[in-house]
Amino acid sequence: MRDVRIWFSKSGAVKYVSHLDMFRLMTRAVRRADIPLWYTEGFNPHPYISFLQPLPLGVETCYEPLDIRIEGEIENEEIKNRLNAVMPDGMHIEAVTQAFCKPAEAAYGEYKIVLDAEDISAEEVVRIIENGGLTCEKSAKVRGRKGTKIVDVSAAIHSYEVKQENDTVVIFVTLPASPELTLNPLQFLTGISNQYGTVLYPLEASRIRLLCADMSAFS
Amino acid sequence: MIKKLEKILPLVQKPARYTGGELNSVMKDKEKVDIRYAFCFPDSYEIGMSHLGIKILYSLVNDRADAWCERVFAPWPDMEEKMREHDIALFALESGDPIKDFDMIGFTVQYELCYTNIINMIDLAGLPLYSKDRTALTPLIVAGGPSVCNAEPIADFVDLCMPGEGEEITNELIDLLKIHKKKGSTKQEFLREAAKLDGIYVPSLYDVSYNDDGTVKAIKAKDGAPATVKKRVVSDLDKVFYPEKLIVPFIEVVHDRVTHEIFRGCIRGCRFCQAGFLYRPIREKSPETISCQCEHLIKTSGYDEVSLSSLSSSDYTQLETLLDKLLEWTVPQKVNIALPSLRVDNFRKDLIEKLTSVRRSGLTFAPEAGSQRMRDVINKNVTEEEIMSTSRKAFEGGWTAVKLYFMLGLPTETEEDIKEIAALARRVVDVFYAMPERPKGKTVAVNCSVSTFVPKPFTPFQWEPQLSREQILARQELLKTTNTNRKVQISFHEMHVSFLEAVFARGDRRLSKVIENAWRNGCKFDGWDEYFNFDVWMNAFAECDLDPEFYANRTRSYEEVLPWDHMDYGISKKFLIRESEKAKQAQTTAHCREQCAGCGADKLNGGECDARCKNLVF
Ligand code: SF4
Repeated sequence: MRDVRIWFSKSGAVKYVSHLDMFRLMTRAVRRADIPLWYTEGFNPHPYISFLQPLPLGVETCYEPLDIRIEGEIENEEIKNRLNAVMPDGMHIEAVTQAFCKPAEAAYGEYKIVLDAEDISAEEVVRIIENGGLTCEKSAKVRGRKGTKIVDVSAAIHSYEVKQENDTVVIFVTLPASPELTLNPLQFLTGISNQYGTVLYPLEASRIRLLCADMSAFS
Repeated sequence: MIKKLEKILPLVQKPARYTGGELNSVMKDKEKVDIRYAFCFPDSYEIGMSHLGIKILYSLVNDRADAWCERVFAPWPDMEEKMREHDIALFALESGDPIKDFDMIGFTVQYELCYTNIINMIDLAGLPLYSKDRTALTPLIVAGGPSVCNAEPIADFVDLCMPGEGEEITNELIDLLKIHKKKGSTKQEFLREAAKLDGIYVPSLYDVSYNDDGTVKAIKAKDGAPATVKKRVVSDLDKVFYPEKLIVPFIEVVHDRVTHEIFRGCIRGCRFCQAGFLYRPIREKSPETISCQCEHLIKTSGYDEVSLSSLSSSDYTQLETLLDKLLEWTVPQKVNIALPSLRVDNFRKDLIEKLTSVRRSGLTFAPEAGSQRMRDVINKNVTEEEIMSTSRKAFEGGWTAVKLYFMLGLPTETEEDIKEIAALARRVVDVFYAMPERPKGKTVAVNCSVSTFVPKPFTPFQWEPQLSREQILARQELLKTTNTNRKVQISFHEMHVSFLEAVFARGDRRLSKVIENAWRNGCKFDGWDEYFNFDVWMNAFAECDLDPEFYANRTRSYEEVLPWDHMDYGISKKFLIRESEKAKQAQTTAHCREQCAGCGADKLNGGECDARCKNLVF
C-alpha cells in the first residue's frame, strides 16, 4: 500500500465538472485503467482518492495534484500510461510522483485569465487593479451559520501581470490558496467587475500551478 | 465550443449538462457523413441520460459510417432564458451545431407530460411548430417511444412516428432519407414512401373526422398509407444490436450505472398497466449474452453497478443462472448488482442476500390495491398472505421501512376498497410488532404512496373513465381519515397531473392547439412540480373550446372509434374487451406462463412468444 500523487490537466468541457463530480470521474477512470486500488474494509468498501485543492466550476488547470492509495506492484509511469489511455477528452495525466508536500503546504495559486478585448482593455484592467479597493463576496460561516463575507481582493493579490494579445487581454495573477484564505480567479474577476461596473466573462480561466509559502512549486 | 456559449455557461446551473465531451460520446467529421441526426430527449439531461433506449439507438446510428447521431436535452429554464437572450439556437451536445441544420430530429416520448417540452425545443431550434409549416424535406422531425402508441395530441407537430421498438426501423428510415435527400425529393414524396415501411406512422396521411358529440367518426388513410400501422418488434434479443460502450456523464444522473434489459414484455397482464401490454410479446435475452455484454460495458465505463431492468425481474426464467454468472466477475471487480421490479410474490430472501446493493434503508412493494376484490379486478395476482409473508421476511432481514404503492379511483372501487388500503398498511405494521426478535429500540415505518388511476390506451381499462377531481379528492380524504396508525404515512400524487395525463393519454388531434396555447402561456417541464401550472392548462382548454373532462372522465363504449384505432400493437381489441368484462366480474386471468391468454401480440413476431413457448416445453 502506498500513496501516489497524480498530476493532471483539464481543459475544454471537463472544466465544468464540479469538484464532487471529479471524484466520481477519477474513481471510474482508475477502475477502467485497472489500477490496483486500495479499498476500505467493511460492508461498502470504497477507495481513497483525495483532491488537494478544489477548483471552481469553469476553471481549467495545467498541473493539478490528486492523491490515490494503491495496493500491489505498479510503476508510476505505468499508472500514468494506463490512465491516459482511458481519460475523457480534455483530461490528461501529466505526471505521477510521490507525494512530497503535505496538502497544507500549498499557499498560492498562479492563474491565467483571458478576457475579450471587446469587453475591456489591458490598460483599464491595470488601472482598476492599481486603484485598489477590489472586493468580492465569498460564502463563509458567520457565527456557525452559512452566510457570506466581503473579502478584500486587493490586499490578497500577491503579484500580477496584464498583457494585450491580439483581440484578448491576458492576466496572470498569483492569489492565496491556503487553508486560511483561498481566492479563485473568478472571485478576483468579480472584484474587477465590481469596480468596472459591468460583469466580465472570462474566455478562459486556468490555474497554472500551486506554490508553497516560499514561492517554490508545490510538489 | 462557440464563444457565445462560453460566456453564458458560467451563469447557469450545472453547465456540464450542455458541454458534451463525456467519455464515449461520439465525434465525427460532419463533412464525411450523409445524415446528421439530432436525438432529443424532451426532459432534463439527468433524466435523459438515465434512459437506456436513447443510449442503444445513439450507438446504433453511430455504428454506421454514413450517419452521425448527437444528443439534445431540454435546456433547464435558466439555460433557456440565457439562450434566448443571447440568440443561441438549440444545439446538439457533440458538435455544438444548431439542430435546425440537421437532417433528422428525433424525439423520444416517454410520457405525456413532456409535450410542451417537445414544442419548446422545436421553437428553440428556430423551426416552425407545425409539420405543415416546415415545407423542406429536412430537418425531418420524428418521434418514438411508448407514448406514440397514441401520438394524436402531437400528431400535427411531428412529421412521422415510429411505434414500437426502434432498433431496426431507425436504420431503415435513415437509409430511405439518405436516398430521398440525394434524389432531391419533396417532403411529401418522402413521407409517402416512408409510410410504406412497416412501423412508420405518418399522421398527415390520415384524415380524422368527428361526430357531433366530439367523438371520432372515422380515421381514413390516404395516398397509399396503410389502414393500420403495425408497431415494430425485434425478434431475437440475443442478436439485436447492443452498444459496446456507454456514455459516462460528467454529472450525476438519475440512474448512473450500467443498465441492462433482461427481457421485453410482461407475463402478468395487470389490467391498468400500459407497459405490460405495450411491450409484448415476451422475449428473453440469454444469461450468457447479458453477462458478457455487462462485463464489457463495466470495463469500458468504469461504473461499479449493474442494474437488471425489465417490467418484472423475477419473471425472468433463468434469474438464478444469470445471477451466478454475473457474480463470478462482479464480486472480484467490486461491482454491485441492482435488481429492481422484483415482485412481492416471489421475493426470495436467499436471492436477495446475493445482491449486495439492495439497500438496507427501504424496500418497495406495489400491491396497487388494498382489498383482494380490487386486486382481482385489476388482475394484480398478489394475495394478502404473500404481502404479509414478504414483509415478514423483509423485517427479519433487518429492514424497518417499507414503501407500498397504491392506486385510487380504479374501476369498480368502493369505499370498502379504499378503507382496505389503510387496513393493509396497518397489518404490515402489525407484522413487524409480532416478530419475537424484532430489532430493539427500532420502530417501523410503512409509507403508502397513492397515485390516481390513469386509464391508458392498449389496456383493458382504455374505455374506463378517470374519476372526476372532486371524487378523487373525496376518496383521498376518506383514506386519510381512515388511517389512524401513526406508523403509517400516506402521501398522494398530484391529482391534477394525473388528470392531464388522462386527457393526453387518450386524446385526439384537436389537443395540439391546447398544447400550443399552454406552451405560449409559459407551460414547460410539466412533469416537474416546480413548473407545473394547472390553471394555465385549464385556461388553454377553455380558450381552445375543448373540454378536458370529455377526454378524461367519460366512459367510452366498445363501439366508439378510439383516436388510436389505426395503431396496431398486436394486442387485439377482442382480447381487451374480454379482459375488461372479466374485470367487471372481478375474475382474474392467469399469467402467460400458466396459460396464454391470446392477447394477439405473438403475431407481430411470427407467432412466437417466449412465454408461451416455455409453456409448451414444461
Ligand atoms: S401471446 Fe399469449 S403468452 Fe404471449 S404475451 Fe400474449 S397472452 Fe401472453
